[in-house]
Amino acid sequence: MNNVSPMRGQHNRRDLLRRGTLGIGSLALSQLLSRDLQANTAEPSSPKLHHAPRAKHVIFLHMVGGPSQMDTFDPKPALDKWDGQSLPAELTHGQKFAFITPEARVIKSPYAFKPRGRSGVVMSELFPHLANVADDLTVIRSMKTNEINHASGELFLHSGHGRMGRPTFGAWTSYGLGTENENLPAYVVLKDGLPVAGAPIWGSGFLPSNHQGVEFRGGKTPIHFLRNPERTTVTERRAVVDAIKELNGQAYEHYRDPEIETRISQYELAFRMQTSVPDLVDLSSEPEHILRQYGLSDAQGAGSGLSFARNCLQARRLVEEGVRFVQVFAKGWDHHADIYTALPRSVRNVDKACAALIQDLKQRGMLDDTLVIWGGEFGRTPMVQEHNAGTGELTAPGRDHHKECFSIWMAGGGVKGGLTYGTTDEFGFGIVENPVHVHDFHATCLHLLGIDHELLTHRHQGRDYRLTDVHGHVVHDIFA
Amino acid sequence: MYERSDWAPRIASLTRRVAMCAATLVTCGAFAQTPVEYDFNRDIRPLLSGKCFHCHGPDAAGREADLRLDDRDEAIDYGVIVPGEPDGGELIFRVTTDDPDLRMPPKGDPLTAEQVAKLRAWIRDGAPYEAHWAYQPPKLKTQPAVQDRSWPSSELDYFVLDRLERAGLEPAPKAKPAVLLRRLYLDLIGLPPSVEEVQEFEAEPTPENYEAHIERLLRSKRFGEKWATGWLDLARYADSNGYQHDDLRTMWPYRDWVIEALNNDMPFDQFTIEQLAGDLLLNPTRSQLIATGFNRNVPTNFAGGSKVDEVRANVLHDRVATTGAVWLGLTLECAQCHDHKFDAISQQEYYQFYAYFNKAIPEFAQRGDAMFRKHFIGRDVMVYASEEDRQKGAELELEIEREEKLIAALGESAGPVSEDVGEEVRILDFERPDPFKQHKATRAVTTSLVEESPSGTGRVAARVEAAAVTETKGYFGTGYSFPATDLSDSSELTFWIKTDIASRFSVQVYNGRRIASVYAFSTENLAPNQWTKIVAPVADFVTPKWSPGAVDWKRIQKIQIIAHSSGPYDGKHITLDDFVGVVSSERAKRLKRIAQLRVEIAAMQTPSMAMQDDESPSQAHIMIRGDYTSPGDPVDVGVLGSLHPLDPDLPPNRLGLAKWLVDDANPLTPRVVVNRIWSEVFGRGIVSTPEDFGMQGEAPSHPQLLDWLAVQFVEQDWSMKRLLKVILLSSTYQQSSSASDEKISRDPQNELYSRGPRFRLPAELVRDNLLAVSGLLSDKLGGPVVYPVQPFGVWKEILGADVNRYPTSQGADRYRRGIYTVWRRGNPYPSMVNFDAPERTVCTTKRDRSNSPLQALTLLNDPVYVEMATKLAGEIEGWTGNDREKMTRAFRTVVSRKPEERELEILMDLLKDQGSWFAVTQTLLNLDETITKS
Repeated sequence: MNNVSPMRGQHNRRDLLRRGTLGIGSLALSQLLSRDLQANTAEPSSPKLHHAPRAKHVIFLHMVGGPSQMDTFDPKPALDKWDGQSLPAELTHGQKFAFITPEARVIKSPYAFKPRGRSGVVMSELFPHLANVADDLTVIRSMKTNEINHASGELFLHSGHGRMGRPTFGAWTSYGLGTENENLPAYVVLKDGLPVAGAPIWGSGFLPSNHQGVEFRGGKTPIHFLRNPERTTVTERRAVVDAIKELNGQAYEHYRDPEIETRISQYELAFRMQTSVPDLVDLSSEPEHILRQYGLSDAQGAGSGLSFARNCLQARRLVEEGVRFVQVFAKGWDHHADIYTALPRSVRNVDKACAALIQDLKQRGMLDDTLVIWGGEFGRTPMVQEHNAGTGELTAPGRDHHKECFSIWMAGGGVKGGLTYGTTDEFGFGIVENPVHVHDFHATCLHLLGIDHELLTHRHQGRDYRLTDVHGHVVHDIFA
Repeated sequence: MYERSDWAPRIASLTRRVAMCAATLVTCGAFAQTPVEYDFNRDIRPLLSGKCFHCHGPDAAGREADLRLDDRDEAIDYGVIVPGEPDGGELIFRVTTDDPDLRMPPKGDPLTAEQVAKLRAWIRDGAPYEAHWAYQPPKLKTQPAVQDRSWPSSELDYFVLDRLERAGLEPAPKAKPAVLLRRLYLDLIGLPPSVEEVQEFEAEPTPENYEAHIERLLRSKRFGEKWATGWLDLARYADSNGYQHDDLRTMWPYRDWVIEALNNDMPFDQFTIEQLAGDLLLNPTRSQLIATGFNRNVPTNFAGGSKVDEVRANVLHDRVATTGAVWLGLTLECAQCHDHKFDAISQQEYYQFYAYFNKAIPEFAQRGDAMFRKHFIGRDVMVYASEEDRQKGAELELEIEREEKLIAALGESAGPVSEDVGEEVRILDFERPDPFKQHKATRAVTTSLVEESPSGTGRVAARVEAAAVTETKGYFGTGYSFPATDLSDSSELTFWIKTDIASRFSVQVYNGRRIASVYAFSTENLAPNQWTKIVAPVADFVTPKWSPGAVDWKRIQKIQIIAHSSGPYDGKHITLDDFVGVVSSERAKRLKRIAQLRVEIAAMQTPSMAMQDDESPSQAHIMIRGDYTSPGDPVDVGVLGSLHPLDPDLPPNRLGLAKWLVDDANPLTPRVVVNRIWSEVFGRGIVSTPEDFGMQGEAPSHPQLLDWLAVQFVEQDWSMKRLLKVILLSSTYQQSSSASDEKISRDPQNELYSRGPRFRLPAELVRDNLLAVSGLLSDKLGGPVVYPVQPFGVWKEILGADVNRYPTSQGADRYRRGIYTVWRRGNPYPSMVNFDAPERTVCTTKRDRSNSPLQALTLLNDPVYVEMATKLAGEIEGWTGNDREKMTRAFRTVVSRKPEERELEILMDLLKDQGSWFAVTQTLLNLDETITKS
């Protein structure tokens, strides 16, 4: 897959991850994780692919808080004219807003928009780097959700349901497709801050718990409890793991319980992970030019933009190792106040790294089967918010949450490049053409992964649940 | 929605059908010659339900081609089934045809040949329908005749042995005494026996001694701690709200209630009534109120922009769904948007259930537009966090009594402080420049100016005008800010107000930026634009729920007046004057002292939430498509028509509902409960879908056994302990869990109980068990949540939360049982997550039991487990005897049984090579057997 990678030495070491040293190592980790027969008799209704996949991996870049569509990918010149006035009442009638009133006045976008690339995908001047990969992007301007609050919006975006308890997109993907690398989780979460809804937005809901996202934290121990206790040497640990193995082997002789065999192999895997996982997340093995491409001068430094860039690079490395679904959360997109200071800062934190991720995947030949998604849990209002909802104090202008339309983009994984899909009204308030509800978005992404969203089901409480509930239409128009 | 072909082209396709059927006749005939065994409830109904009912079932609105197959008469009238003639109706053709436009079901896998054969056989036999097994009352069947009459030791064993014998399997021999005793301890109290207890039992493993252990363990206080865990999963008990902020809440008194009720073997019917409706009992006790915390455990979304009505609807939906899963084993929530697709539950009936919960006081509220000022409303039970506080509180209560007596002795009437008692008046210092500069009017542009003074003092008066206000709603306030002022010796605050706003008002006093205390008054009955004197006794100020602590009257930094009504406020004004603190009579002082004492008591207590019905609840409606903004027809309380009738004498509230649920005639609840208890012992329910006993659920593996247990349970007055004892005395339970490969392959999931139960312990018990064997376990029972060591910084990530510093417990609280660990929904305790502890965001009827490398890493490296291994290693060093003797004892301490020679060798080699008992104890604490009930 990647002949250009200059990290052959690393690869050999990391290849160890893929090869089990025990016979049982050839089983998928997802199976190993769930060998208990009682708990996991329910396998996916159709574990096989329903059709030829276009994408094998997903990197989902979630801009937590909800980016403003009018200031990023959906130019609305009419707002210049309406600036300072209320929207027509028939438009706002019956709409829910989080903090403002329907009469709040319109505020225009101060940013210049230009067509980019050969395809002429339009984006605001805030994205100088992303502009360079415009021809790889499919921008969807007509996304729509049901929720106007962060926690429920995040839950809806990831699980198709605004309350807690349902499996997330990544969990369904892991459940449907399993993993390509039995030594790593199928679903990994990278974040530079905690999304509002916390762990439930990478949870497995009622799917077997091995499908939940595994958080990889920053630093040298991305997984909890990865490091040996102080004073425990590798030799001692090896001796302990060997003794555990032998004793468990004795127990197996007696009980013949397959769970014991699984446990033996899990201890081996855990032992290997203690070296392989820190290697895997050690970006210092990346060459200088790659680090620079992502905007990282070195592998360590702090700062929110740097965390995001590191997470993007990390995502690429994980996908390279066969991780199925990498969920990246980028904080700082909830611009209720002072949006015109804060938004450029938020974009600056991600612009370069997003572009680098796409270029990097492309140069390794990985973009074709890796679906990259960028977007937030909802959009923002064309109207201004000028007070702090908590204290009532006046603030510099911002924008409130908006569920009726928002913009996302996708790249790779079988979507067309250089396409802009869907149309919103002149205010960027509602959709006039080709709506893509979150359910449709899920149906479409699953389709790219070779899954029919109506067939990937799990029986729970007597009902065959799906990610798309009873909704969802595949948006074929965006497929390459 | 699914695309599907319609049944309508039936006539058109008739010719083709006949032709195709002729072609397949041979096959059909071949099937006809082999007798096909089927059971309607086991084979036919699940088939129809799983493949057909979604479009051709009870849900009238979602029904396709106007055909329903869940009702025999309708299916026959329609002509799709002709009794006695498998090919006489359309059914068999439709499920067998190769024509994709006609084949049923239109999506998903087609029926297998075996399924079709059963369907044909059933139609040939006249297509008899039977009521779904779970809706029929459990019946005591005659004990099956078995060959090996020496094996059963309890009636239930006959049902098990019968299945085994029919399957050609033999039960396993009895487990070895040490293994059996450990299993018994883990099942009853979740902790292992001591080496001495095991040795004693090994010396005399008689049935009498075994039973004596059961009796003793059933009486142990540890019993409730073990058995509460599963119930808390059902009750979605947690210590935080979930969603945005994920703030902490105090619900541990409810957890303690569950532990205590289980320890007292509260009969399950009473257990049900107190939790669902304890508040509606006559003169409910404090404990009965706490029990109703069951329904306050629901996650609640406090996001700034969340809508109160929406959150409330979500909370009530959760209560309906949880009630359905916990007591009925039914998926009521499927009827939220439409009639149930599979079970006879109409949308109307769903909202009748909803109506029971709709009578409660709304879950939470917000003040005006102050969206971040949402707070729980409804009943609170005040609880002390510790015994020390409880004693101190009792002393303060005594002081209040003394003060009250002294007041009575003053001979004055006990009415409120009137406005003419002021003797000593102190003017508050409002003469600082710009007293209104920092007013907090949310949106209005305001001006202030000095005006005439009603009392003639002319000291300070001010006028606040809301000019050019365009907002149509929201609160409107103004206030004074001033340097910290000591009002601690004021017993009243008085002021004059003149306003044209008719509203409820609040006087809010602030400590720093936080509202410390509030006094409410109203201008609704006042003539507008006239000066009125308001006297606000300090004793009548209340501390709002969201306030962080008790008011500090020595440091009041701001006073703010807030109108509560919605605007518009265009041109309206509030004018205030002579805002003063008053030190008044002895009686007023004592009243104030009482108020302060009450504040002190309150500061030591925490409110825990309980249920309370509203005096005038809002009307419940059907929600069209389940949407709370689309109310349909009004509905009143009621139960499911397909189950036992509701006694008309029962009150139309939650108490009536609870009593209906535990009515002896209820066919579901006893089965659902015994199945859950059975499943906790055997690792698998007789019905393997504990949450769904409906059409889509799995049929019971041992229907007669399930019914026998259910009947016993009700006859034994719903006693959970007696039921457990029956199970634990059985031969089925006492079997060895070791098995041959052949047996494992023939009964892989131990569905036939051909051996004893063997499965990994749940998250809490993994911890408890290792704490116990290492000697670290604290035996403290109940009380506030504890915060054992967890990886650094995990809580720091929680944005906007009230607490994001993890207050790691010190001392014995680090070593408490897992059930006491704080349960934060958005950020649960990492090592328990690795062992499949649920987030408790919804009712969980069954936990996963994964087997992962993360579990290995946890037990090997989590400092908590490392500490246990270190402690045990230290203990061992202090033991007498040689290394081999120490090793044997260490092994027995951890897994109870004696080590085999080979096992001892492995461990002795390890000790020799590493020269460290720590390596040995780490090994022992990581054994599969250590974290498994064998």
